[in-house]
Amino acid sequence: MEKMSEDVVLRAISHCFKCKLCAIADFHGSDEKWLALCPSGSYYGFNSFYSPGRFEVFREILSGEIDCGTEMLVKVAFGCQLCGACYERCKEVSKVELDNAELFEELRSVLAERGWLLDAHVRIREDVERTGNAYGASEKLEYPSSGDEVIYFVGCTARHREREISEAMVRVLNASGARFTVLGDEWCCGSPLLRTGQRDVASRLIAHNVEEIRGIGAEKMVFTCPGCLKTFKESYSDLGVELLHASEYINSLVSEGRLQPGKLKIALPYHDPCHLGRHLGIYDAPRETLELIGVEVVELSRNRGNAWCCGSGGGVKSGFPEFATWTADERVGEIRETGSDIVVSACPFCKRNLEDSGVKVFDLAELVSQTL
Amino acid sequence: MTILEELERIVGRENVSGDPAITAAYSRDQHWTFVPPKNPAYVARPGTKEEIRDVLMLANRENAPVIPWSTGINIRGMTIPVADGTIMLDVSRLDRIVEVNHGMMTATIQPGVTFGMLVEETKKHGLRPAFPDAPLTVSAVTNNYLRGIYQTAPRDGLDHILSFEIILPNGETLQTGSRLLKRDLPYFRYGPGPEIASLFIAGPGTWGVVTELTLKLYRIFEHQKVYYVGFDDLEKPMGLLDRVNREELVSGCRFVDTIHWLPPYLGTFDYEYETLPEFVVVLVVENQDRIFQAQDHIVQTYIAESGGKILDLPQDLVDNLKCEMLGAETSPMIFGFKGNFYCVGYYGPLNLLPQYYRDFKENALEIGFEAEDISFYANTIARFHGQSTYYELEIYFDSSDKRSVEMLRTLHARTVANLLETGIYGWFRPYAGVIEPTLDRIGNFADYWKKLQNFIDPNGIMNPGKLF
Repeated sequence: MEKMSEDVVLRAISHCFKCKLCAIADFHGSDEKWLALCPSGSYYGFNSFYSPGRFEVFREILSGEIDCGTEMLVKVAFGCQLCGACYERCKEVSKVELDNAELFEELRSVLAERGWLLDAHVRIREDVERTGNAYGASEKLEYPSSGDEVIYFVGCTARHREREISEAMVRVLNASGARFTVLGDEWCCGSPLLRTGQRDVASRLIAHNVEEIRGIGAEKMVFTCPGCLKTFKESYSDLGVELLHASEYINSLVSEGRLQPGKLKIALPYHDPCHLGRHLGIYDAPRETLELIGVEVVELSRNRGNAWCCGSGGGVKSGFPEFATWTADERVGEIRETGSDIVVSACPFCKRNLEDSGVKVFDLAELVSQTL
Repeated sequence: MTILEELERIVGRENVSGDPAITAAYSRDQHWTFVPPKNPAYVARPGTKEEIRDVLMLANRENAPVIPWSTGINIRGMTIPVADGTIMLDVSRLDRIVEVNHGMMTATIQPGVTFGMLVEETKKHGLRPAFPDAPLTVSAVTNNYLRGIYQTAPRDGLDHILSFEIILPNGETLQTGSRLLKRDLPYFRYGPGPEIASLFIAGPGTWGVVTELTLKLYRIFEHQKVYYVGFDDLEKPMGLLDRVNREELVSGCRFVDTIHWLPPYLGTFDYEYETLPEFVVVLVVENQDRIFQAQDHIVQTYIAESGGKILDLPQDLVDNLKCEMLGAETSPMIFGFKGNFYCVGYYGPLNLLPQYYRDFKENALEIGFEAEDISFYANTIARFHGQSTYYELEIYFDSSDKRSVEMLRTLHARTVANLLETGIYGWFRPYAGVIEPTLDRIGNFADYWKKLQNFIDPNGIMNPGKLF
């Protein structure tokens, strides 16, 4: 969350070679198939929407050549899911450590400081400030609690939009006998604000959640939302608590003999969420979970580090709904190529956006709970 | 109507912008230490040939500079505007592979088609385009049109263009080669009259916009072997290089100086490169069954006689080269050493290799670069007439370090002057920093070049400032 110095940003930008290999999936690793990887560039077309071009826009903002927050500038800066595919490819092929998503978050924070924001993102901030959650939901949802061994951080989407995920996770936790609790006054983790450049408000949310967590004294925290997990890992101070994605925690419960899931004996495609895979490097754990419950993973053409984003992240679902839908439609087409209308994922945002494009999405927690 | 309104009328509102948030992305490329950034006034993204024509006619009428831009993978500043009011003509929407003809061994493509797209499609036919050793994302039209493929393997020959279609600055469409007589027979370079197509090649968007190109394709062989032969002496490999090329035994032949160049090329930094010899010759042998074995036997014999040592590299590193021959993906890794990469590329005879190498290295060291920042390689190309060889003299540097940049500018000026003095065949394409001192040396050729350009583009709207 610390502001990058201009020198650091400009140095990073100057190292982009403009090869644009960041815009396609691993070519030789995909048996010489040309597979697009950058939703933003693919959808909008102009070079500004690809990483190399967006870097140059950032440079001109810092140099003062761009001094007006036009509608187009806001679209260039915020019309990107921050899926991180560009960085994944860049570090692979060039070994240049640019961390594009981080730089683009920095770009957004520079715009936010000048008040160049989307109304939709300002509304999220207002909702969070008013209600403590990103959806502005006022109802208080209660979750059972059985002890302080592990904290289940539910997150705004699994609490207020994709509630079946949190309900399934609670069933899994109950079945395992794990003594868990949900924060009595859980606030948004801060991710939607950090992703949209509104860092000041995020700081307040973080301070609140930290206070809540410290009072419990749990050893572990489990997350069904990779966005929350990423935010805790990257933007929270060390809480002395082990932070785990649901798949990692479920796998450990099974290996310790505390959870005995059944076998579904089906084959399903798995969609790698960007926050879980590229951002946190968790590719194997969800696949292992699926194996444990008898689901044979059908790999999509673009998978793991080469996965095509669901379209929802980085504030795109709220800011540019048509672009979010187009991105999801692309992924749904790929899912259907496997002959399936069902896909498994491990993120409430992915579930929501892909389902909006017409496929049935099961979260890992839902599938595990079905086997109990 | 303003120019912006006219452009909107031609290509549609959603495909044109004059907003700096759009134009900034076309203002700078990796050659920015030599070509300063400048935004175009507008970016237009036509979707059809007719729209390209109409934009050119508009530009001609309004005397507005136009720069054709294909997929944007440009490292020589050739699409960076010089003049105010420039229209950047982003033709990446024209990305159709018009035809891959197995019988004719050709592909006809539009300028937005990348090498990756083309490789994917041609591979289905057991064919491939010539090996570009440029990122897979480059436009196959632009890369060929700007001077053929610059790192062609000896087997493939040098010039892969058969015919093309170009829209001239006045809006007229010109066909070349056999297209002139029958549009659906674009498979022969030489048409009914003088071969004027070559005049259009290697002009960086200065004589029109290429909208379609028919290219040669080449076989993908099942039998292929790659040798990495190490030498500790600069002169010693020369005999082997000459022999395998003269006798047409290899389809790929590359001399690298290095532990500096080889590691990134091979795809990993995780190797004990200090154990490698100073120079490495990479030979690719490929052919059909039985001919391959015979050829391979001869190559092995020649390697043994050369005094070089076949290196036992890990298989994944060797395999990486095979992949790269179907399109460069990991070779841009070189840029990761110091953050940036500089090179001067040119053609010259093989027998000058030792002199090119020594001069460049001495200059670079004298100017202050470290030995580990200096790199060099040579590829023999085409049939061996004139010992035709493509060279790259390279420096890894950090463009955010002002001292490095100043050193680089000094080295560049000295290198270009040295090469012109020593003797080269030509630059791999004309670009800023090499073309200016060259024009001074080519006498009346430069005058006729200008006259011809003036004839084609009397208003001087096409990418002004990039040549004259």
